[in-house]
Amino acid sequence: MARLLVSGAPHLHVKESTQSLMRDVLIALTPSLLVSIYFFGFSAIKLVLVGVISSVFVEYVIQKFILKTKVTINDYSAAVTGCLLALNLPPSSPWWLVFIGAIVAIGIVKMTFGGLGQNIFNPALVGRVFLLISFPTLMTDWSIPESWFRSGVDAFTGATPLAITKEGLSAGLTLPEIFAANEFTFKEMIFVKIGGSVGEVSALALILGFVYLLIRKVIRPHIPLVIVGTIAVMTWIFNLINPDIYTGPLFNIFTGGVLLGAIFMATDYVTSPMSVKGMVIYAFGIGVITVLIRYFGAYPEGVSFAILIMNMTVPLLNKYCKPKRYAKEVKNG
Amino acid sequence: MGKLKLISEGIIKNNPTFVLILGMCPTLGTTTSAINGMGMGLATLFVLVLSNMSISAIAKLIPEEVRIPSYIVVIAAFVTILQLLLQAFIPSLYETLGIFIPLIVVNCIVLGRAEAYANKNSVIDSAFDGLGVGLGFTIALTILGLVRELLGSGSLFGWKFIQGEGMLAFVLAPGAFIVLAYLIVLFRKVTANKA
Amino acid sequence: MAKESSFKSMVITLSVICLVCSALLGVVYSVTKAPIEAAELAKINNAIKAVVPECDNNPSEEVFEVDGSVVYPAKMNGTIVGYAIKVKASGFGGPIQMMVGFNADGTIYNTSVISHSETPGLGAQISDEIPTRTQIVGKNPASSKLSVTKDGGEIDAITASTITSRAFLKGVDAAYKVFVELQKQQ
Repeated sequence: MARLLVSGAPHLHVKESTQSLMRDVLIALTPSLLVSIYFFGFSAIKLVLVGVISSVFVEYVIQKFILKTKVTINDYSAAVTGCLLALNLPPSSPWWLVFIGAIVAIGIVKMTFGGLGQNIFNPALVGRVFLLISFPTLMTDWSIPESWFRSGVDAFTGATPLAITKEGLSAGLTLPEIFAANEFTFKEMIFVKIGGSVGEVSALALILGFVYLLIRKVIRPHIPLVIVGTIAVMTWIFNLINPDIYTGPLFNIFTGGVLLGAIFMATDYVTSPMSVKGMVIYAFGIGVITVLIRYFGAYPEGVSFAILIMNMTVPLLNKYCKPKRYAKEVKNG
Repeated sequence: MGKLKLISEGIIKNNPTFVLILGMCPTLGTTTSAINGMGMGLATLFVLVLSNMSISAIAKLIPEEVRIPSYIVVIAAFVTILQLLLQAFIPSLYETLGIFIPLIVVNCIVLGRAEAYANKNSVIDSAFDGLGVGLGFTIALTILGLVRELLGSGSLFGWKFIQGEGMLAFVLAPGAFIVLAYLIVLFRKVTANKA
Repeated sequence: MAKESSFKSMVITLSVICLVCSALLGVVYSVTKAPIEAAELAKINNAIKAVVPECDNNPSEEVFEVDGSVVYPAKMNGTIVGYAIKVKASGFGGPIQMMVGFNADGTIYNTSVISHSETPGLGAQISDEIPTRTQIVGKNPASSKLSVTKDGGEIDAITASTITSRAFLKGVDAAYKVFVELQKQQ
């Protein structure tokens, strides 16, 4: 088993290895992948392949030639990072964008801190945020490449629903006006939503992956549920206060990578807390920060930043919310 | 100690940026391009040499308890002189460096050298010490600016060789931290092999 | 090492050091005063010259204020051919100081940005690219709606710099209001 973070006692023996866990994550991502291939065609396949290959390649080169340690690319963790990175990019991204993201994710965020289990931040997310501030034009270009399956239909340049509302609000329009002008429907958002990154096309496919991970006991449900719950409650309250300015819960949950982030990014073993209490605090923080960034920040989306900010609190949460032990603590022991 | 040795110590063994990790505020704030980094480095070098010399000259006359305020007044005077001179004769550099010029007063390197070296050594030695540390700072800031400019805007000393923009993150604050961290690693690796 | 300290010696040392330093500063100040003023004037003059039609007067000498904004009139043979109006707008990274030049009939002659703190490479295009790309030169704010298309205007904002483009146009708009006020007063 590779170097996973060792939690406090008791240690339970399980059959899982890093390899099988990561394989399960890849399987859970398959439904979303298939939907995005259906909608974005070759470009979705290309982005994911470039992401996976370049992440594995960067990890191999660094371990083999710079650190001269054991090469751990067979544990699939680099492949998962590459896949998640690609799913977080706009479908029209050029291949070199994914490659730069992979260098940042694996080279800077993961290997510099000591490889799997040692990194503070989620590598794929830092890769995405780095690309977002480095290439804002490319990263907010949501035009849809032609697909094999829907050739020549509505290939249009669209902003994401979140970006459209943010723009509209700052221009002084009210939400009902914006919604009427852009014809957002919730049916579209839940099943398939065009105008967003590769992996967030279909909320249903993401939820399917979530259920698979739960059945296989790869992740615990606390983090995703608390994130989504916090966002729902908070946006519901704000929406009640002023429905003209603050978007409602359904809209916020099904847009801008909340599900992708909550299910696949925030639950990353290395960068999330180990105890249930820690998980709940961590997930609550992600929810609150996401809503604050969306309502009051400069960026229309906030999930990536929220997860990265809460990543920083994980060592502290691990320290103060230790998992319960079997025996009572012995004083002066 | 030989004068050359004094200079090389300031550049390598006591490099303010890569070894002592002092003066981080201007290091991270001004190095958006090689020229800016070099300008900041040279401005600090100017203050460092003059303040080292004058503090070394008057150190014996200053009572123990008021030595820090006295040094600060001397340093502040030289910084203000530099600021006026830049404003008058190189206004473009003055504008780019902006608030970081007056902030040289509180740069730990300047007061640090006054306290650690200049008040115990001769005027000439202190001048060379200031020159060495100042050059070390200038070289470090120029390299940092060079790398950030290269990656961030695809140019070298303002000479652009790619179309469009580079990776903007390197021109912004996060890039400063990332590049500085890797440069420190590289510097330690190179100097460790020598020693 | 350092001298024995007593109250008297401390007061005297500090006073002498401060006196010497301020004397030195006084000398440097008086030497650099003229060049600094010249440099600042040159900067303002360059900004004015870039934004008003050719003139034979020196606009920075005939400066006056309207509604708290600084106005530099440009004259040719004694008749006014244009105005340069200095305005401030709030951009993405902080205030943007800019000079907007009008012809005598109110059409925009040119604009120039004096200082800004926009994101390098993005909003920073404000000094050269935004004025050309937004094609405001030659337009008259009275007849064309100068705001970005997303806000219902007729200017295409620069991708990923909508806020900067918007601030720039707000600055132009503020300058035009000053211009209108100016016409009323005459």
